[in-house]
Amino acid sequence: MTDPSDGIALTLHLALLSSISFGGFPTVLPDVREFVVATHGWMTDQEFTSYFALAQAVPGPNMILMMSFVGWKVCGAPGAVASALAIFLPPCVIYFIAYRLWHRFRDAPWQRIARSGLVPVTVGLIIASGVVMSRAADTDWRAAALTVAATVLMFQRKIDPLLILFAGGALGGLGLL
Amino acid sequence: MPDQREAPERPSLIALFTAFLRISLLAFGGGLVWARRIVVEQRRWTSEEEFTDILSLCQFLPGPNIVGIAVCVGDRLRGSVGTIAAVSGFLLIPCAVGFSLGRLYLQYAHLAVLRNILTGVSAVAAGLLIATGIRLLAPHRGRPRALIVAALAFGGMAFAKLPLLAVLGAMAAISVAAATIETARAR
Repeated sequence: MTDPSDGIALTLHLALLSSISFGGFPTVLPDVREFVVATHGWMTDQEFTSYFALAQAVPGPNMILMMSFVGWKVCGAPGAVASALAIFLPPCVIYFIAYRLWHRFRDAPWQRIARSGLVPVTVGLIIASGVVMSRAADTDWRAAALTVAATVLMFQRKIDPLLILFAGGALGGLGLL
Repeated sequence: MPDQREAPERPSLIALFTAFLRISLLAFGGGLVWARRIVVEQRRWTSEEEFTDILSLCQFLPGPNIVGIAVCVGDRLRGSVGTIAAVSGFLLIPCAVGFSLGRLYLQYAHLAVLRNILTGVSAVAAGLLIATGIRLLAPHRGRPRALIVAALAFGGMAFAKLPLLAVLGAMAAISVAAATIETARAR
């Protein structure tokens, strides 16, 4: 399972997918699964899913982490590094060029209109992704209550959100959820 | 440096690196909560409006949005070297740490206490993200058009469970059209 041509094929495919991953990398995850599980048989469905869960469970850029686990499985350490690069480099270049252009024309009338149209969509989607996350996380009413409490506490500027995260972890660890 | 406007300050490259390193390491379930808290509230590197502006741009481009925030904030404050500092801060150490933690976790994934801790942490992380979204909405509370669009985008994804890309595309078109009409009327 350490054929370098596998690693190259995976890297190129991931680079292509990351360049078209509008709405975030999770939108192209089904295609990644198709490529590494169904088409090439590099790993089982179970392994693929466990890498997803794993990337959610550790802090840090989780999709990049998940793909480095996929790359590791296919081609060892070089595969892990190449996959991570394939995920973030193409979008970085796109972000950089787009931001320069966006910033240069920031006072243009069309951009003011575009901004005032796009910002509310962004914000609505962010709140929605919090709710979607809570559906996966809140297995019963106690966890749901914890989500609500965290939402409210986050508005108390004096409380460090890290403390809220620790408290949540402690409540869970003590078996109270 | 692409900007003619005054940036609030010119932080050192190390400050950019460490700020985005912190954002990344704290980012359970997504870095947006911490990116906004550190960039806007603590360092005051951008205003609330400019942060939301950058976030919107990134949302409509392919890739991990939060890396896009590092690219844009880095460039805004220190130009292209700032981008490199912010992105490496965000990725280098956290990826190494995350990768090692992940391999450890695979070995102990059967421990119930570990799973329970994660349940608590994820429940909190979801709440923090919701609150961050509501805060980003706060500057728009007096604008009915913005509130309606945000509500529709929210409902489409959270309750109608439409695909993200469909909501993103359709709502962007509707919302920009509405903004165009509103601007034309105001003249």
